[in-house]
Amino acid sequence: MKVDVVLFAHFSGFQPDGKGGRHARTFDLDEGTTIADVIAMLGLPDEPRVIFVNSRHAPEERVLVEGDRLAIFPPVAGG
Amino acid sequence: MREILRVNMSTLTISKEPLPEKWARYGGRALTSAIVFTEVPADADPMGPDNKLVIAPGLLGGTSAPNGGRLSIGAKSPLTGGLKESNSGGTAAHALGKMDIAAIIVEGVPADKTVAYALRLFPDGKVDLVPRHDLKGLGTYETVAVAKGIEASEHRYSEKVSFIVNGPAGEMGMKAAGIAITDPHGYPNRFAGRGGLGAVMGTKGIKLIAIFEEGLKGKEHADKDAFIAAVRKFSGALTTHAVTSQALPTFGTNVLANIINEAGGYPTRNFSSGQFEGVDGISGETMREITVERGGNVKHGCHAGCVIQCSRYYVDEDGHYITKGPEYESAWSLGADCGINDMDTVAALDRKCGDIGIDTIEAGVMIGVYMASGKIAFGDGAAAMAVLDEIGHGTDLGKVFGDGAEATGLHFGVKNIPVVKHQGLPAYDPRPIQGIGVTYATSTQGADHTAGYTITSNVLAVGGTVDPLKPEGQAALSQGLQIATAMLDSLGFCIFVAFAVLDMPEAFEAIHEMAAAHTGDEWDADALMQLGKETLTYERLFNEHAGFTNADDRLPKFFLEEPLAPHDVVFTVTDEELDSVHSFVPEVAAQLGIK
Ligand code: SF4
Repeated sequence: MKVDVVLFAHFSGFQPDGKGGRHARTFDLDEGTTIADVIAMLGLPDEPRVIFVNSRHAPEERVLVEGDRLAIFPPVAGG
Repeated sequence: MREILRVNMSTLTISKEPLPEKWARYGGRALTSAIVFTEVPADADPMGPDNKLVIAPGLLGGTSAPNGGRLSIGAKSPLTGGLKESNSGGTAAHALGKMDIAAIIVEGVPADKTVAYALRLFPDGKVDLVPRHDLKGLGTYETVAVAKGIEASEHRYSEKVSFIVNGPAGEMGMKAAGIAITDPHGYPNRFAGRGGLGAVMGTKGIKLIAIFEEGLKGKEHADKDAFIAAVRKFSGALTTHAVTSQALPTFGTNVLANIINEAGGYPTRNFSSGQFEGVDGISGETMREITVERGGNVKHGCHAGCVIQCSRYYVDEDGHYITKGPEYESAWSLGADCGINDMDTVAALDRKCGDIGIDTIEAGVMIGVYMASGKIAFGDGAAAMAVLDEIGHGTDLGKVFGDGAEATGLHFGVKNIPVVKHQGLPAYDPRPIQGIGVTYATSTQGADHTAGYTITSNVLAVGGTVDPLKPEGQAALSQGLQIATAMLDSLGFCIFVAFAVLDMPEAFEAIHEMAAAHTGDEWDADALMQLGKETLTYERLFNEHAGFTNADDRLPKFFLEEPLAPHDVVFTVTDEELDSVHSFVPEVAAQLGIK
């Protein structure tokens, strides 16, 4: 199945193509893949994260489905 | 012993008086709000002699409390018609604190409306008022450059003087005018932006306040060792929490652009969509990449003692300073809300706002409303600049623009005008982020995100989580944050310390430990919250006396009726819940003996 993955702030350097940037990359994943699986695959640092699937907060155990957009942020804030 | 410096512009006299005992525990916003409540009639004309401009460092101003050098400026707001506290960084607060000045109260209006004065405070305690007609009508940068006798564009450290400057928009009495405060490099790029306080300063005939701080010492503490221990504890927390130690210093506040956009709450083209396709061009990440490539500064504090350091400079292709790295709110208002996706354009607009002395949030929301009228197109940066030029030149149309989003929307017959209590909404749409809608609706300040920053729990997973799309729990979340914010504003802390304070109990403890060790008074967690409640009570009661009712604590109708993409939601927090936010006010008013 195809899932779009977007990474922000200092996570963007963990895109597998190594090119950084905040644009989506399309991943071809096995059915049943969870967000945690993708995080492990990317090798994201072990720190708190804020995760969205299709613009809604999602827990790491969430199973992704075809066409999802997965966005992962390190802890950020401002205002 | 802290003192009040009273400057009467009708009689051109200056006096000092001891801070009244009843306000001994107040600083910053608590003090500006208590003074305005007590000394300004609620029905006063904000532009008349009975209004007062009150400027106060926090209770810990002038000390080494980390991030403790914020400045509060208060008055009856010409924009909202209510009690206003506008908060700013810059170096002035610590300087005033070191001078033992609890507040400057500027009252009266000069008989001669053509005058421009500089109020000067010297380290030996001398204060004077000097006519500076040469500064009249000048932009904020030129004012500072002339006043200092240096080239405004030159990078150099200030010679230990802090300026509080009014721009031409304020001198012309425009309701969106803010007041600029110089940063450690002497650039007038920090703003008490909201609520039209520049217009109040304009009526007083004061163009500039200069605070000469050469040789001033930090303040003494009742218990120095305890104070230093609490400072260490506090800065330890700020330099440990992921947000205050990494994201903010690396990318600045504008690191928020992508996450608010992802959450579907990034108001786009006058609040007609929750996502902006051009967000990456104006995001904190892009701003950092451009600035690093051009050799600009990407990390400093807006005042000495800031350990978070979210500030940065935006520079041109040759590396020359243009403006402060636009904050998230400014990049959004002058960017996404106007459909503009280019960082250089946003920075040029930001600089222009700074120079004419206008609030970037109100300016961007106003331009977005004007674009919605169809007179100019969304995305047209040159047309947006022309709007700001009209303001700077003080044309008839410029005076409409300069009065903000609501004035502009009414003038051009725009249907959806995003304001509460006449003040433009900041950078979070209240439909998909319902907690912030409660703050916008109920804040004493009009639509103001900083007043109760629910984005923490609604989006950022700081201080717990509350589902942003549902109404449940939002009123309680907003109430707690409005109280805590009023407390931080009163002590003089930058509200960004809240990200660490909400997650780390030791950071909260360190705050009352610093207050106790500095003052020698008893401070604990309850006392801190009481300070916040008392501050809000003065503001709430003043607004009631000025004619505000619960009906003013509402969002514009379109937020309740027109669903916003991508979540297709409207704001659903009930009126009863909104009205519960100030439930503590009668009890606290009784304790204070005020009505
Ligand atoms: S964190 Fe940013 S706004 Fe707060 S005091 Fe530091 S530089 Fe100023």
